[in-house]
Amino acid sequence: MQIQKLTKQYDGKTVVDGVSFAIPKGKVISLIGPNGAGKSTVMGMISRLIAQDSGLVDFEGRDIGKWKSKELAKRLAILTQSNNIQMKLTVEELVTFGRFPYSGNRITAQDREIIDRAIRYMELEPFRDRFIDELSGGQRQRAMIAMVIAQDTEYVLLDEPTNNLDIYHATNLMKTVRKLCDELGKTVILVLHEINYAAFYSDYICAFKDGKIAKFGTVEEVMTKENLSKIYQVDFEILNIAGKPLSVYY
Amino acid sequence: MSTAVIRANRRKLVILAVLVLLCAAGYMLVDVRFSNPKLFSYAMRLRAPKLLVMLITAFAIGGASIVFQTIINNTIVTPCLLGMNSLYTLIHTAVVFFFGSGSLIAVSANLSFAVDVVLMGIVATVLYSWIFKKTKHNVLYVLLVGTVLTSFFGSIQSTLTRVMDPNEYDSLLNSLVASFSNVNSEIILFSLILLAGVIFALRKELALLDVLTLGKHQAINLGVDYDRCIRKLLLGVTLCIAVATAMVGPISFLGLIIANLSRQLLRTFRHSQLILGSALFGMVVLIGGQLIVEHVYSYAVPVSVFITVGGGVYFLYLLLTRKKV
Repeated sequence: MQIQKLTKQYDGKTVVDGVSFAIPKGKVISLIGPNGAGKSTVMGMISRLIAQDSGLVDFEGRDIGKWKSKELAKRLAILTQSNNIQMKLTVEELVTFGRFPYSGNRITAQDREIIDRAIRYMELEPFRDRFIDELSGGQRQRAMIAMVIAQDTEYVLLDEPTNNLDIYHATNLMKTVRKLCDELGKTVILVLHEINYAAFYSDYICAFKDGKIAKFGTVEEVMTKENLSKIYQVDFEILNIAGKPLSVYY
Repeated sequence: MSTAVIRANRRKLVILAVLVLLCAAGYMLVDVRFSNPKLFSYAMRLRAPKLLVMLITAFAIGGASIVFQTIINNTIVTPCLLGMNSLYTLIHTAVVFFFGSGSLIAVSANLSFAVDVVLMGIVATVLYSWIFKKTKHNVLYVLLVGTVLTSFFGSIQSTLTRVMDPNEYDSLLNSLVASFSNVNSEIILFSLILLAGVIFALRKELALLDVLTLGKHQAINLGVDYDRCIRKLLLGVTLCIAVATAMVGPISFLGLIIANLSRQLLRTFRHSQLILGSALFGMVVLIGGQLIVEHVYSYAVPVSVFITVGGGVYFLYLLLTRKKV
């Protein structure tokens, strides 16, 4: 997936300004940056949820806007922050929606199998008949991710998936992200606020500042004292823990 | 479990359908003298069109309300609360006002209905999709704008009637204050064809309703052409409301009551069941209500009064018991 000179304005204010980068396949890529740096907007544009003002998102050799929505849904899945589901929906039924791009409302035996596997993968068997609105935040997030897994796409885009999760659930979620990439071979792109999650669990980091890319590279390249201090405008120290550059800010 | 739920819901729907049949039988047969064939056929001729109108209205409002709630992703908003039926009344008045009550358009019930429907389809779809876009589907804003629009349309309509020639107004009033005791049965056939056409034209979009439940982003993620789909569904809702309002006049809270009763009873996201449930509830409320009005209160209180009072209380209950809007 190639992104070329993406630009987006809201009410005359430029939120994303000429962003270009290529997304490496089969890796975990984290988008980080201060509030309002444009990372979620970029995420929206590469997932066709937001229309760009100019620039091009090249997905598998074709402009993403030229893809049939249904075809794209088999290749790319996106999970956004706002998921207020008002209907009475059980976990299993939610996960079943992941098969919609393939089978519509008629679920086949093969779909069933994939759904079961996704539920097992996210350890949701005890909850499969529970209603979504009766679950805790962490369980609901896991159910949403199970749906994305059932959608079985090459690309998985997660917009701030650790929001509202406690340390236990957030860490487990990041481990799942890693597993999605390592075991299932998916390309995962995340927007993250916690720099250390990005540093510990991803392969590449793309740091945004003021609508532009401040730094894009491997974790080691981006996670330096100078880079982070410049992006966030606070003092950083980098510690090497478990072979990963983790940051302390103060 | 989900198959068990589907089965349990099917049972509930069958019970509702039986209730509808009982109400319908009661409505047709109570106080009918079978001994005199002339009186019998007279009663049938009087009651059958009304029953048919109520069935169509219940279906149109029930279906439209559920679909509309899914479009806006909220269960306390209905098209009528946002002034769709006031808009229809306004359009109907404006047509008579500008063409005159003697014109062909106003004299022929079917032709005037056709003109109303076309205008309504265009105006309402443009207006409401613009409002949705502008408020970014924020329900509280939409509700506020809708309330303002309701009285806005109402004011324009009453201004038009005030400056109208009294004779024109008199003939307009006849078709305007359609009610359950004075149904507009001339347009039954047209309405049926229109509704069938809407359902046929929207069959693909109707199948997407379950996915739309997940909200805009998830629907797009799962491959729905969202904006186009919403526009088409909104047009369908508009036409259904036009049919209902033309036949029995505005009844604000009916959609809210039956759509939410259906949701509470069935507790599912499956729209095939929700719409059916909502329509069946509508039939029970309308036919049962009319039965009581005609035979217990002997026409003293119109059924719409009960619906408005009951619906208002129910609306407050829904607002107050929900954790978030």
